[in-house]
Amino acid sequence: MKKSIFTLVLVLLFSVGFANDTYQKAMSQSIEKLFQAKTIPEYVEVANQFERISQIEKTEWLPLYYASFAYIMISFQEAENAKKDQYLDQAQKYLDQAMAIEPNESELYMLQGFLYPSRFNIDPMARGMLYMGKMNESLEKALALNPDNPRVYYLRATMTYHMPETYGGGAAKALPLFQTAAEKFQIFKPKTEISPNWGKEMNEAELKKIQETMPK
Amino acid sequence: MRSIFTIFVFILLSASTFAQVRLSGKVTDSKNNPLPGANVFIQNSYDGTTTDSIGNFSFKTDQKGIQNLSASFIGYKPFLRKLDLDSAKTISAIIILQESEDQIDEVVINAGAFEASDVKKAVVLRVFDIATTPSAQGDIFGALGTLPGVQKVGEDGRVFVRGGEGYETKSFMDGMLVATPYSSKMPDMPTRGRFSPLLFSGTLFSTGAYSAEYGQALSSIVDMKTNSIETEDKSSISIMTVGLMGSTTKCWEKSSLSLNGDIVTSGLSNKINKQQVDWIKSPLGIDGTVMYRQKTGKTGMYKLFGTFNNSTSEMFYPNTQLGTIQDIALNSSNVYLNNTFNRQLGENWMVKSGLAFNYDHQNIDLDKDQVATNQKMIQAKLLFSRFLNEQTELKLGADWVNFSYEQKIRMDGNYRLPFTNNELSGFAEMEYKLSKKFATRLGFRAENSSLLNETTIVPRFSGAYKTGDHSQISLACGEFYQNPENDYLKFAPQLKPEKASHAVMTWQYLTELKTFRVEGYLKKYNNLVKYTQPLATNPLDFNNQGSGHAEGVDIFWRDKETFKLTDYWISYSWINARRNYKDYTMSAIPTFVSEHNLSVVYKRFLPAINTYASLTYSFASSRPYHDPNLSGFMNAKTQSYNDISLSLTYLMQMFGKQSVLHLMVNNLAGFDNVYGYNFSNTRNTAGKYESTPIKSPFVRQIILLVSIML
Repeated sequence: MKKSIFTLVLVLLFSVGFANDTYQKAMSQSIEKLFQAKTIPEYVEVANQFERISQIEKTEWLPLYYASFAYIMISFQEAENAKKDQYLDQAQKYLDQAMAIEPNESELYMLQGFLYPSRFNIDPMARGMLYMGKMNESLEKALALNPDNPRVYYLRATMTYHMPETYGGGAAKALPLFQTAAEKFQIFKPKTEISPNWGKEMNEAELKKIQETMPK
Repeated sequence: MRSIFTIFVFILLSASTFAQVRLSGKVTDSKNNPLPGANVFIQNSYDGTTTDSIGNFSFKTDQKGIQNLSASFIGYKPFLRKLDLDSAKTISAIIILQESEDQIDEVVINAGAFEASDVKKAVVLRVFDIATTPSAQGDIFGALGTLPGVQKVGEDGRVFVRGGEGYETKSFMDGMLVATPYSSKMPDMPTRGRFSPLLFSGTLFSTGAYSAEYGQALSSIVDMKTNSIETEDKSSISIMTVGLMGSTTKCWEKSSLSLNGDIVTSGLSNKINKQQVDWIKSPLGIDGTVMYRQKTGKTGMYKLFGTFNNSTSEMFYPNTQLGTIQDIALNSSNVYLNNTFNRQLGENWMVKSGLAFNYDHQNIDLDKDQVATNQKMIQAKLLFSRFLNEQTELKLGADWVNFSYEQKIRMDGNYRLPFTNNELSGFAEMEYKLSKKFATRLGFRAENSSLLNETTIVPRFSGAYKTGDHSQISLACGEFYQNPENDYLKFAPQLKPEKASHAVMTWQYLTELKTFRVEGYLKKYNNLVKYTQPLATNPLDFNNQGSGHAEGVDIFWRDKETFKLTDYWISYSWINARRNYKDYTMSAIPTFVSEHNLSVVYKRFLPAINTYASLTYSFASSRPYHDPNLSGFMNAKTQSYNDISLSLTYLMQMFGKQSVLHLMVNNLAGFDNVYGYNFSNTRNTAGKYESTPIKSPFVRQIILLVSIML
């Protein structure tokens, strides 16, 4: 009897370990593909992979996070405005589902802050005021949940860089922000292997670009 | 030990029985077009793939037995089908996806309606557009004047729609009635809306054949949607050449509070920017607004909007009719409170409830005479809606308005003219979507007035059919009743409601950045108030025998795409209208109608100087008037109307704060527009009726404003 209970436990442990391993593997592969993707079909394919993972792993927010991220990237590639909005709707749908699973995750608020500027880029004159406020609000929440989230600093620096100087933007104002972001990336350690860990290279590239163009 | 071994054997065995099954096939839409990029997978497994460029898929699965094959694609309903994976080694399937209902290119019933929204995606106007249209001078009703179907009536300022008078346009806020939406005005001078456009996230403006939810309006409705819960603390102050403004917003997790206040006086600017008016006391207005929003539960939202206004002014008015110069002093106070509460009720029902209160006091001292008017309105409204199924939405509503009016006149004796009306209304409306392309809406509205002792029941119908990806054709018609104006009811409460019938047909092409629409309409008026002499006061002088009609075509074109950083729209309206009402001796074109109306609004951002420039050109053809020196009725015409208005918005940093410098110039070119003429009641010594032209109080109006975000 004792023995059979022991085997049962072993089987359970084994299968759990097995399942988890599948998840980790599927995620790692998909994440790698995500950051290699360049065209819309490539992004769609990887977004679909994350969607498939999310429908099994119903308590995990990460597959939804990456699916949402993929659709934001798709919206950057799309030229037609109506379609852009449609892709962002999809990104928002995944993000909302992820928030429902994990309401207090800094990375999810950061991603929300990343999504809003794409919305106002479609019609800046009409949407600017609405989405600027929403973006700031999301980023503040992201920082409150994790004051060291480097992606929040990176996004703020980028926004500042692209804003006209009269709004308090421009390269000079953005430079120290990119530097702070670089420091935050330096000390950042992702919680797990598959946790969000992107942005460092982009930040470095922007930093380099500014330092090269700025008068010494 | 042995048992562990058996387990391994068991696992190995079972693994070997996991014979892989290959699934292949194609995903298409309902018209057999392939859908590349669709997600096809076995539900609750990792097994699946993405369709290729011609919609084909192929993948292997280790799953066994009865499983769900699932497919999904943006803009389509998810697909699910049971499959027996043990049945064969290769399974092929053709998957047809149905388009989902919430696609943005779904048909929307919109005949007669212009919608401005920050929330919805494809709309004609945004709130920002209203705030920056120069000829509007920050007035919502002024901005509506650049849309087709609206007449230019410069001496009035209200919204005159398709051969209808100003009072035929009713204003609502979050679906609740606003009894006094315009500020009190001096004779021959335009009025303005009471509310700042920045308080609203959307406006529904309908120029005809609107839903059964709206009643007591013959021509048009304007429903302003107040901002939702605020999410950012903010404050700002503005200094204008005509006064001061301040606002502050505070947010909590589930609620927000905003306060606005302003003092407006043209005293200073009158010295620089001379008006053609002899002011004794320049207009002075004080306004305060409070907005509170509270989320309750999961779906509930409570909104409170309250506003207070007091304004005073005094002028010498050359009264041509009487041939004297009068001293007119105006003092008015207005309070408006609007409470709405919306929430979901159970799974299917949505309930909207509202309670509104409006108080208006106006006192006019006319030389030694005095006219004091008090109006009080209380409204309670309840609206239920539910989806009976995916295609059908049902709306049911009830509405009670208690309105009391009292006018006290002191003029060789004291007179009191009071009346009270209880208006009870109910409506039912069903919207049915036969397909993604075809929708219809049928509604009925019943109204009962206690004062007029009259019950009316009217039908409303509209339908829309999508003719292409971005184009649709719509048709709407309906009947509308409205109680006679207060100025008639106070003398003659036995009058019946006035009646209008509308038929509207629209063709529209709409994308995110381009809009084109043509709308043709027919309108018929019955039961209009008529009176036997110009200054009638005897109840027996009034009757409901007036009538009229209007036909026309409205064209609207807007383009934000073709020119870089440029947005422009063009509105053109042609109208043929006749009326026999008031003291008209025959059917004639009413004085507020011009046959052709044109507006061109051009907006452009100039990045080099960080300035947003807007220009409006307005044209209206001549308006008729009655000249008693000539024979016949409505026998003369004014010159046509022209206006060029400009506004510049310069974005800058001031004291390290984000700031805006805003300059508005109306009638830049200084056109000498004449809206009509006032004639003397008596002949002069030469046997002529003398006249004076009715003009704008300004040649050019210039307003400068600096706003600082704190």
